[in-house]
Order: sequence, then C-alpha cells, then structure tokens
Amino acid sequence: MMLFLARRTAALVVAVLLASFVVFLIPYVTPGDPMRKIIRSRVAGDAIDGSAVEALSLQLGLQDPLWTQYLRWLGRFASGDMGLSYTSRTPVVDQVLPALWVTLSLVVLTLAVAALISVVLGITAALNEGRAADKAITAVSQAFIAMPEYWLAPMLVLVFALELSVLPSAGWEGPTSAVLPVAVLALRPASHFTSAVREGMLDALGADHVVAARGRGLSHFHTVRKHVIPNGLLPLTTLVAVWFAGLLGGSVIVEVIFAIPGMGRLLFDGVLNSDIPLAQGAVVVVVGLAVLLTTAADLVHGLLNPQVRMRHA
Amino acid sequence: MRFSLPSSVSLGLVALLSLSGCGFSGAAGKSSQAADLDQRIVVDNFRAPVADWALESDAAYILSLSGCLETLTRYDESQGKVVPFLATEWKQASALEWDFKIREGVKFQDGTALDAAAVVGSLQNVLDAEVPARAFSRKVVSGVKALDNHTVRVTTPTESPLVPYRLASVNTGVLSPAAFKGETVDPFGHCTGPFKPVSEKPKQSLTLDRNEDYWGGQVKLAGAEIRFITDGATRAAQVQTGEADVSLSIPVSGLAALESDSNVKVLKADSPRTATLYMNNGRAPFDDVDFRKAVRSALDLDALAASVYEGAAIAATGPFAPSEPWAIEGAEAPKQDVEAAKKLLASAGYTADRPLEIVAIVERAEFADVATVIQDNLKAVGVPVKIQTKEYAAVEPDLLSGNYDMVLSQRNRLIDIADPIGFLTADYTCDGTYNLSHFCNADYDKKVAQAAKTADSEERYKLYAEAGRILQDQAVNVWLVNEQAIDAVRTDLQGHVQDPLARYVLRADTAKSGS
Repeated sequence: MMLFLARRTAALVVAVLLASFVVFLIPYVTPGDPMRKIIRSRVAGDAIDGSAVEALSLQLGLQDPLWTQYLRWLGRFASGDMGLSYTSRTPVVDQVLPALWVTLSLVVLTLAVAALISVVLGITAALNEGRAADKAITAVSQAFIAMPEYWLAPMLVLVFALELSVLPSAGWEGPTSAVLPVAVLALRPASHFTSAVREGMLDALGADHVVAARGRGLSHFHTVRKHVIPNGLLPLTTLVAVWFAGLLGGSVIVEVIFAIPGMGRLLFDGVLNSDIPLAQGAVVVVVGLAVLLTTAADLVHGLLNPQVRMRHA
Repeated sequence: MRFSLPSSVSLGLVALLSLSGCGFSGAAGKSSQAADLDQRIVVDNFRAPVADWALESDAAYILSLSGCLETLTRYDESQGKVVPFLATEWKQASALEWDFKIREGVKFQDGTALDAAAVVGSLQNVLDAEVPARAFSRKVVSGVKALDNHTVRVTTPTESPLVPYRLASVNTGVLSPAAFKGETVDPFGHCTGPFKPVSEKPKQSLTLDRNEDYWGGQVKLAGAEIRFITDGATRAAQVQTGEADVSLSIPVSGLAALESDSNVKVLKADSPRTATLYMNNGRAPFDDVDFRKAVRSALDLDALAASVYEGAAIAATGPFAPSEPWAIEGAEAPKQDVEAAKKLLASAGYTADRPLEIVAIVERAEFADVATVIQDNLKAVGVPVKIQTKEYAAVEPDLLSGNYDMVLSQRNRLIDIADPIGFLTADYTCDGTYNLSHFCNADYDKKVAQAAKTADSEERYKLYAEAGRILQDQAVNVWLVNEQAIDAVRTDLQGHVQDPLARYVLRADTAKSGS
C-alpha cells in the first residue's frame, strides 16, 4: 500500500510539472506574439503600439530566457504563490478557487445524476439480458453517447427555456440554473456508466460464488442484492473518477453556452489570452485533482475488491 | 478582432431558434403603461471585464454602459459632435493646452464632490497604466493638471483639436479618489452616473442600484443587472424568454426568430465596422492599381451582403459607412462588372502564373463563406484563388511584414475616439503602425496630417472624406460590406436609445412599465 501511494505521489508531481511546462510553452509554440495577445485581451482592437509591447514585456519579465521564466514560476508555486494574472494583474488563486468551486459543484451533480441513472438502467438491462428492456436501454445509451453537447444544449434550451419557460436558459444562480447544464453533461457519462454497470452485473451474475449461492437455495432477490450488485457496481468507481477528472477542465462548451464561470472557461480564456500564470494555475489544479481522484478511486477499488489488493501487494 | 467561441455552438442554437420561428414567440402586445419606478432590468452584454476594473481596459465600456462611469465630454451620435457631460465647457487655451470646466454640484456616489483634483487623479491613473488606452496615452497627452477647483488643463505633445474627443472615450471616465486607493481600481460607490454598482459576481454579472442623488435628475429604474454572456445565441435566447430586457450584439443568424417575436424589438444601426478585403499593395500583382481595381470590379458586393450577411449588412461604398459625417459624398457601392475587370487585368498585364491566396481569419466565422464568394467571383475573371483559414494571431506577423496576398478582416474605425483619425493614420499612412495594406501615398498622408490639426469639425470631416476618396481611387482595398450593430430589447422597455458602440445603455431615462 505504501509503495502504491509513493508511486502515485511521484506520478502526481511528474504530471503537475509536465502539464505546467506544456501550458507554459503553448503561447510560444503556437503562432502569434504572446505579448500582443495579452495586450489585445486588455485593450480592444488590433492596432497595437509597439512601445506598449516592449514595455509590458519588460515589466512581466518575458524577455528573460524561457527556462528562467519557468523556474521563476516554479519557485513561486512551490511556496504556494500562483502569481498574478498577466491580463487582470490580480492573484491567480483568486480566480481559480471560485471557478473550481463552480466546476466541482457542476461535476459532482453531473456524476451523481449520471451514476443514479446508470445504476437503475444498468441493473435493469443486466437482469433482463437479451429481452426488449435490455435492447432498448442499450440502444438509447449508444444514441446518447453519440449526441454532441453543442447540439443537445440548444435543444434543451429551446424546449425548457423558450417553449415551456420552466428553466432559465443560462446563468449560474440557484438550483434551477444547474438543471440544463447538468442534464447536458450527464447524458454521455450516464450512457458509458450504464454499459459498464450492465457488463459488471452480467459478469457478477455468472460468477462462481453467485452460482453457488443460488445453489444453496438463496433467493434470486437476495443473491442479486448481496452478491451481484456490490460486485457489479465496482467498475463504476473507476469510471466515475476518470470522468470526474475529465469534466474538471473539459466542460468548456457547456460552460460557454450556459454562461457558467467554471474551470473550463477559465482555462480556455487563459490559453486564448496568453495569460500564462492563469492557464498554469488552472491546469495544475485540474491535473493535481485528476491524479488525486484516480488514486483515491484505485484505493477504494482495492478496498472493495480483494483481487486488486492482491495485485498491488 | 475578438474570438467568438465555438461558432458551431452559436449556429446550433440560432438555427434551432430560427426553425422554431414564431412558434416560440408570445402574443403579448406592446406595453403602453407608465414607467414603474420600482422596476429593475437585465442587460446581456457580450463581454466580461478581463483586466479587473482597470479604466484603460475594456472594463471601462462595461462601467459606462452600466450607467456608472461618466466622462468629461460625450459624443452625441445624433448631433455628430462632442457635447458636455461632466465638463460644461472647454476651450483651447494655447496650441498645446486645453482647459475643461468641471460641472459644479456633482457628487460621486460615495458622497464626495467632483472637482478638478479628482478628475486629474482619475485621468492620471489612466496615463500611468502599464498598457495605457490608445485614446489617452503619453503619446497623445503629455499631462493633466488642476488650474483651480473646477478647471482641468490637458496638455498635448503636439497641437491636436481632438482632445475633447479623447475625453469622451470611456477610458477617461472619472472615478473618485477612493477608487484608486487599493491595488486595483474599485468602481463600487465611486462613480458619478445614474446607477451605482453594488455587487459583482466575477465573470457573471454586475448588479447596480439607482443613484438617488444623480446630478442629471430622476433615475427611472430601481436598478439593473448586467450579465456577461459571451455566446451570442444565448443572449438572443434570453431576450426572447424575457430573462433579459436588453441583449447587445445579436448574431445575424439569430434575427429571424427575434424579428418574429412580438415581445421583442430588434434595433439596427450602422456600426463603424466594414468587412474589408485587404490587399497587399506592396506585392505583385497588387502593386498595380489596375489589378486592384479589377478585383474590385469582379466582386458582387450586393450579392455578398444578401447571401452571407443575410441582408443584415449593406454593400460598402468605401472605407466609411454612408451615415458617418465624413462619408465620401456621392459615393456608391461598386457594381460588379466582369468585362471591365477583364480589361483592367489585361491593362495590368496580369498572367495567372500562380494562384493568389485569401486568408480568412477563423475568429469571424462568416469570412470563410465570404472568401468562397470572392474566390468564385475572381475565378470568373480568370484569377485563381486559394483560401486559407487561420487564427488572426497566427497570421498577424505575416500581415504586418507584408508576406501575404489578401486577407479578410474588419476594423472598428472609432475604437479609440469618436473620430476616425486614429484609424486613418494607423491603417493607411506610410508610417502607420497597422498599415496592413502596405499602402503609401504622399497626398493621402498630407490630407490626414492636415486633418489632425484642423479644429473645425466640418473642415476636418471634409479632409477625411478627401483622404477616403484617395483610398477609394487607388482601390487600396475592397471595402465589402458595412456591418450593422444589432441589439434586441423587450417591448416594455422605455427610453432606450441604441448606441452602436455599446457605450451608453443604462441611462437615467431608461424605464420599464409595471408588469
């Protein structure tokens, strides 16, 4: 266990360093002058004064070699300082934390809804393998996997905000404003989870100990409840963790359509405006959380599944 | 040039809204009720403050449209001139000095009095900014000082008649000294306008209450919320659902649904933006005026406006919109003339030895379609063209260094001040800092230099028109279509006047009838 944790801690450090370095390089490896992008994000228009570019470059220390700039950021970050945003000149942490809170709320709600749906549908499909209910659930799940968010979101706005006027079309104020974005985000993970739960349940249903339990005369209901469901849902823990990590920074389209001030949007703006400290801060938080979550999921998976524990041992 | 996120996203919602047509429009008629002083409204704006509330940044636009920030002067579109605002009068004291009389009896929302010292402090803050606003930087203003309690002197490095215009720029808005005491600018309670900001949800919204002591008289709304919604389709949806009372900058593709909704009024005005086919005058074959004229003659601008822009733009007559006071008199949009184009190509000695390249920047989704129309038009006269779509940032170094053939772009002529001098200087003079066309003409430079020193606005506008005519005669670029500023408001909103530059939205007179 200690070795497992040590490995994951090392992976966390390497992942954060790697991600922060890649983000740091983005403005320099993509076409265009980073300084002009920064200035353009602050003052409207294209005709940028060359002297302003030079002055700001000097002020931000962007004329130093790249490795100097990166090490300077790393030194500050190691002492807990994410630095100042190039565009707003306010502490990055003041922008990252509120955005993180918004995204965490969105993602937790999304995954809770997705997990709930998938447990109900996955179990139903597995217990009715090959029948109409199973086929219908599988078909619908596959259809939802293929449904893009940029299409689904306007559709839901059209129906629930414009047609029925029961939900707000955008914003992040109160529980009702979370309904549509959560619905849009939950559909795809729910589809993936349903397939996983179905497969897990089918595997568990055919397991030796389940067959033996049935042979000992245990009722079907009790066998499913005590021996099938706990094992059938195991794959869900890892999947939820993986999706959690992905949604932390990957919900930008939904955040834009529904005007949600979350991490995806923050990261997108940071990269777009060459706001390196902001992008780095956002990425480090997202990557760090992603590694922590997958580690936690593996630990939980190991606690629930003796086979996994033995593999790590 | 501004990145608009996933155009497919906007197009998706807009297409659906359009398909739904009047199916989603309510049947309520227009309100004829009296204004209700307890009403609050919601305004959907297309941008959020990026650089905190720094006055030299775009945030000044948000504070101004919110009815918080006020300037010494104000550009009145209807009169076409600068009018008093926080300054009651001004005069040019000497070649390099302008004196402004500060309005007496005005108080900031924190209760302190507006005086010359406060104005100087606020303007000095903008001058000292890391990235100063182009309208009010050390390049154009050498200093500000208080002559007495109610007189501010602005000094310029060279003689300029445009100082009153510069002080109409929202970047020169005046905040009380308390606004500048912290690390960042704090506008809360420190403006002079009809609405005072009371709370902010970063990246989401700004809430304002009525300023009970507004110097300009009774404020008819109890308050308002400015929402920052970057997606145009979402803004269009919100005004249709009634979640917003005003939605600024509606995408063209969202018009059909809104225009069929009896609860919504769509407002259109000429914007100071012209979609332009920039041609690299410094490189063959564009270094031949006949070739450039041939390109102009080959294009069908009316068809372009009707098709790609769905009628929400009009064929351009030249570098200026016809409604602008400096528009070229009698100018008409060039008509497509394929035969004339062919003759001009022959006269230029053009041989199609290589396909020319048009860069369509991806930040403007419609430019890919515009480029296709142009490609088709030029093919008809024997000019092969290939299209490249690129991010603006990726292509900018090539544009500035002259390493390109043609690029589709658009510029806001009045982005700095309500006068095109900055645009005409930066974009077309020999030493222009943004001369993408790489055009250089001594006569043109002379006209612009003369205009820059002409105090009389009528005379100056004539010089602008003459400079514009040189650009047109030399076919420096093809000015394709004049874009329109499109806003949508609920029909129960009263006293709303559209500002194509979105500087003034919430005013003391803005009102809403009771529900």
